[in-house]
Amino acid sequence: MTSSDRKLLYELVIQPGTGKALEMRRGQVLRISQTSGRQCADFNCFNLHDYKEFFHTGRTRHLHGLHPTTGDFLWSAPPRERPMMAIIEDTVGTNDVLYPRCSAFLFEYQYGLPVHTNCHDIQAEAQREYGLTPDDVHDSFNFFMHTGVGQDGHPFIAKNTAGPGDYVELLALIDVLAVPNVCGADVMMTSDFELKPLKLSLYEGTEADWARVTEPPKMRSQRNPLNYKVKNIKSDRELYKDATYTPDFTNVPIEIADVEVELSAEEMGLLSEFSKTGKYGDTDADVLRYVFFTWWIDEFMRGPKHVPKA
Amino acid sequence: MTMTKIKLRFNQQQLELIDNTVRSGESNSREDLIRRALREFAKANLPQPEKDQ
Repeated sequence: MTSSDRKLLYELVIQPGTGKALEMRRGQVLRISQTSGRQCADFNCFNLHDYKEFFHTGRTRHLHGLHPTTGDFLWSAPPRERPMMAIIEDTVGTNDVLYPRCSAFLFEYQYGLPVHTNCHDIQAEAQREYGLTPDDVHDSFNFFMHTGVGQDGHPFIAKNTAGPGDYVELLALIDVLAVPNVCGADVMMTSDFELKPLKLSLYEGTEADWARVTEPPKMRSQRNPLNYKVKNIKSDRELYKDATYTPDFTNVPIEIADVEVELSAEEMGLLSEFSKTGKYGDTDADVLRYVFFTWWIDEFMRGPKHVPKA
Repeated sequence: MTMTKIKLRFNQQQLELIDNTVRSGESNSREDLIRRALREFAKANLPQPEKDQ
């Protein structure tokens, strides 16, 4: 999709050390572009009509992996758990949802720099325009942040590969407050040790933009405040007990039942092959249950499987 | 034929998943479904005996 096919609503270049909160209506497209290249953009977003619904790195990471890109969604936190935005274009493909936002603490602790540009404080300052507090900043979607995980299990930041003019495009699936910022980390690899401006372009989306989005799942379990037992947001900071509280946990009590399965000699032979590896459980029953659910996940589960190969 | 009985422990949520799968036509019973899982998992994950030429 070329930008000339869309109606441009707003354009702004955000300078190093800054970010901007943008109101986006469903169907609008935000393009975040490199100017001179190699710049990470941190990003928060909130439901414009209920700030308690916000982007969740965890669910997004679970469903799309560590490096979401074109075709993936930005999901909100449980129990809302719905796609807030869709990535409809990504000319680089080095996004990250593993690292948290950089913060003042990090620069003071790791570098001895107590006053330093950092994504948390930049986000907080940009969000303040809409009455949000520093506690409302959430873990960021890190566009153009080139990361990986080493053999030792530790994450690493690699050289930024975004070039001049590279961009990502986000289609708003609901009305959102979108908050991109120029990542403030200039003493890390994140943006190749130099802070550069980023260009923000807000467009009216087109049918072609919607055509790039797959139909997201709609489940009964995707709840909203109408379903909550506590419907109002707390207006004070102190936590205190509700004297009328009665626990009402889902499916509690958890009750155990036995299922007896008869296995032939041949089937017992197969089971013993798994048992003797020691990888699946201590008893034949444990091993068979492990085998059953692992098979079921592979056969029937939707979405990423998250199980190791046998 | 010698048969061996294995007693598996499931909670009500796990049984719901098993029963839903049986109801969808994947098997005739809980027990059949579990045996199918074992056979298919073994086929996918254990070395298969070589067939005679």
